Amino acid sequence: MPAPRLRSRSFRRVYVKTPGGKTVIHYGRRKPKIAHCSKCRTILKGVPRERPYKMQNMPKSSKRPERPYGGKLCSSCLRKLLIEKARSQ
Amino acid sequence: MIEVGRICIKLCGRDAGGEAAIVDILDDTYALIDGNVRRRKCNIFHLEPTSKKIDIKKGDSHDIIKAEFEKLGLSVWDTKKKEKTQRPLKQRGKKAASAENPKKDTKNKKEPAKEAKKEAKPAEIKKEAKAEVKTEAKEAKQETLQENPSEKKRASKKLVKEPKPE
Repeated sequence: MPAPRLRSRSFRRVYVKTPGGKTVIHYGRRKPKIAHCSKCRTILKGVPRERPYKMQNMPKSSKRPERPYGGKLCSSCLRKLLIEKARSQ
Repeated sequence: MIEVGRICIKLCGRDAGGEAAIVDILDDTYALIDGNVRRRKCNIFHLEPTSKKIDIKKGDSHDIIKAEFEKLGLSVWDTKKKEKTQRPLKQRGKKAASAENPKKDTKNKKEPAKEAKKEAKPAEIKKEAKAEVKTEAKEAKQETLQENPSEKKRASKKLVKEPKPE
C-alpha cells in the first residue's frame, strides 16, 4: 500500500520500470488542462502542458507561438480576425 | 490587387497584423514585402490587400518605403543596429598589467607571501620572546644572590610570578 497521502486520486500515477525489472509507481501532481483556442476551442499547438513551476523556468518564446494572440487564438482564427479587420478599414 | 506598391496586411507569422508594401513580385506565389514588417519574401496567400497604395518602383530600398510610410502615418519596422559588446574589462586589465610589467608583479607577489609566512608562524616569535625573558630573569637572579643570599626563595617565587609576554 502506498502512503496514505498518496492514496488520493488527485495524484497522477506513472508506472516506471526499474533496471532490476520491477515496476514501481511514481506519484506526481496532475498536469493542467491542454491550452485551447478561445474562439474555436481547438487544441493549441506549441503551448507546453506543464505545471507552473516548470513553466516559470522556460523561456518565453518556448511557451507560446511568437505571433500576435499567440497562445490565445489558433492560427486560423487569427487569420480570420485580421482579414475582418483589414476589410473593415 | 497584388501589385508593386500595394499595402497589404500580413496574416501569418511573427509579423502578423503589420502593414506591408509589396516591393517586388518574385513568383506566382511569392512577393517581396517591406514596411511595418521585416523585409522578406512572403507568400501572397499570407497577405490581405487593402485599398491603400504607395508610389514606389520595383525593388526600391527600405529608406524610400520608410519615407512613403511616414507620409501615410504608418509606423515602420526598423532593425536595431547591433552594438559591439565590450569584453569583460577585469580579465583584460589583469592580463594587460602582467604583460606590461611582469617583474613588478612578481615582486609584489613575493612580498605578501613573506608577510603571510610571518603571520603563519607566530609561535616561533613567542618562543624567542620567552627565551629573552628567561635570560633576563637569570641575570636578575644572579644579582639578587650576590646581594642577599637570603632572598633566594623570594627571587625564585618572583621568577615564577613574572608575567609572561603576551
